[in-house]
Amino acid sequence: MTWRKLGRIYDPVRTPSLPNCTEFAQSPQALVFDSFVRIYFCTRERDSRSGKFLSHVSFVDMSPDLRSIIRTAERSVLKPGDTGCFDEHGIFPINVLRVNDRIRGYTTGWSRRVSVSVETSIGLVVSHDDGETFERIGPGPVLTRSLFEPCLVGDGFVQHWNGTFHMWYIFGLPWKQFPDSHQPERIYKIGHVTSSDGIHWSQQSGRQIVSDVLGDDECQALPTVIHRNGRYQMWFCYRYASDFRTNPERGYRLGYAHSDDLITWTRDDREAGIDVSPDADDWDSRMMCYPHAFHCHGLTYLLYNGNEFGRYGFGAAVMDD
Amino acid sequence: MLKWTKLGKVFDPAAYTGRPWMAEFAQAPCALVLNDCVRVYFSCRPVPDANGQYISYSAFVDLDRNDLRTVRQVSQQPVLEPGGIGTFDEFGTYPVSVIRNGDSIRAYYGGWTRCESVPFDVAIGVADSSDGGITFQKRGHGPVLASSVDEPFVLSGPKIRRWNDRWVLYYIAGRKWIVANNRPEPVYRIRMAVSDNGLDWTRSNRDLIEARIEPDEAQASPDVFHDGHKYHMFFCYRFSTDYRGRARGYRIGYASSDDGTNWVRDDSRAGLDVSDVGWDSEMVSYPHVFQLDGTTYMMYLGNGVGRHGFGLAVLEGSL
Repeated sequence: MTWRKLGRIYDPVRTPSLPNCTEFAQSPQALVFDSFVRIYFCTRERDSRSGKFLSHVSFVDMSPDLRSIIRTAERSVLKPGDTGCFDEHGIFPINVLRVNDRIRGYTTGWSRRVSVSVETSIGLVVSHDDGETFERIGPGPVLTRSLFEPCLVGDGFVQHWNGTFHMWYIFGLPWKQFPDSHQPERIYKIGHVTSSDGIHWSQQSGRQIVSDVLGDDECQALPTVIHRNGRYQMWFCYRYASDFRTNPERGYRLGYAHSDDLITWTRDDREAGIDVSPDADDWDSRMMCYPHAFHCHGLTYLLYNGNEFGRYGFGAAVMDD
Repeated sequence: MLKWTKLGKVFDPAAYTGRPWMAEFAQAPCALVLNDCVRVYFSCRPVPDANGQYISYSAFVDLDRNDLRTVRQVSQQPVLEPGGIGTFDEFGTYPVSVIRNGDSIRAYYGGWTRCESVPFDVAIGVADSSDGGITFQKRGHGPVLASSVDEPFVLSGPKIRRWNDRWVLYYIAGRKWIVANNRPEPVYRIRMAVSDNGLDWTRSNRDLIEARIEPDEAQASPDVFHDGHKYHMFFCYRFSTDYRGRARGYRIGYASSDDGTNWVRDDSRAGLDVSDVGWDSEMVSYPHVFQLDGTTYMMYLGNGVGRHGFGLAVLEGSL
């Protein structure tokens, strides 16, 4: 299995979408239309009060072969959350899908904290205008921390198969202080819940479904799952828990796992089919993260971010079978 | 109207030394009747930190069963440890509600975390005691009831009950934050959830008690008592702003129900109001009703929402 890289396909610095958002196009996720592909992503502005970043949802419409930009969003796709709500300080990422001809999105909302930087939960938004804008189904989340998943529930990716909603997501273990960090660091793992309506989910068990290769403190993020050639395939990104932001040896890489029954997953990163570019000057030479796999007009594509968590946009690859 | 005879304040944490985690406050009393005493759980605070912020701890005081005005002992340590860094109960465990569960004792409690735009958020945790209620071990690092689509923040004030093998949790849920005098204040209402195992909860997703004094009325401490015929709820309510004084501070309300789910509010029946002078002259709040040896009692907080302890009243007649 090999992904053929198509290079960076969207650069928010060159083609910004929202006003005040001139960097970052993170976690690209596709919604396929007949004549174009809408790629949602999260971009950032500086919060004028705190100087911290606020993530907003935006999109770019591209040709079905992902080679040309047709249009970028002209306005905000989703309003910020209300005061005190789980998504008050930004949305990152969003996973958008069609269910019975209706478009819905699963958001990860960010809420800033005092002893640690942030807490996250997963919300549900729906669109009544073909995915141009979204509205929340309520002020609170559909999935949040629980008895055995004590923090940082996020990165929801949903498929609706045979009448059942499957969500793969991440949950945090207790934050940990490392000797080489100035602040507590997060550790998260990939989990799985199911639902009949996409709102009420099965019990969060605290069971991590993908094994670690970097030890207990490995961070796993942004699972994406497709069904292909009779088997379930998952890509995700993983990294060390500390010193991962600027040290390319400890930053995000893409991992891979497969399953025949959606219960037992076999991790095999050698089969991921893609790795960082060897040329140090390339946009994805030091880091690869936030993968999103999807089928489009008979082909299978992978969207992902490169260096600096997507500060300079996202790229794509196509599956060579 | 019910007639309560006030017996005065029975416990003031300032009277006990050697417990740096209990400098002031004895909030949200909750009774567990033992053989020779009534163990009253409450929540207290050490002196605030350099920024004026508090951490709440929960503890207990044993009152003599034959004379509830006599303190037998005060717990030597808090009954619950604060949570680890970044967890929901890192900055406090308040309030706590206990119930017998087979040979052990189960506690549900509010766990506090600190936020950036608003001062705090609260979710409900669960812990079990196997040493008679002296210490409790958490069932997990996370909460058993946290925010949901319709209940976005501040899930607190748990009151756990069990009738006919069904667990029932009354609690409060925040509905909005309002800013008054540059200070964010949460507005919360009384809600409930049911469960077969005490861990997986189904919420009713509606306010049980309609607001009476203003649309943003805040309600707390939904203390439900079943007398064999009917469900009685005592709770407290206040105005949303400027509530730290007599005029707009906490009062005790009342509602009744035939099924524990659908409630009729009638505050005029509560029967316990502020005194003209003394420790409960500005506000009365956080009621807890229990029966002991054929008598019905109410514990409640006075001025400063329990800053100087809690008091006791005895019911004349029956509910």
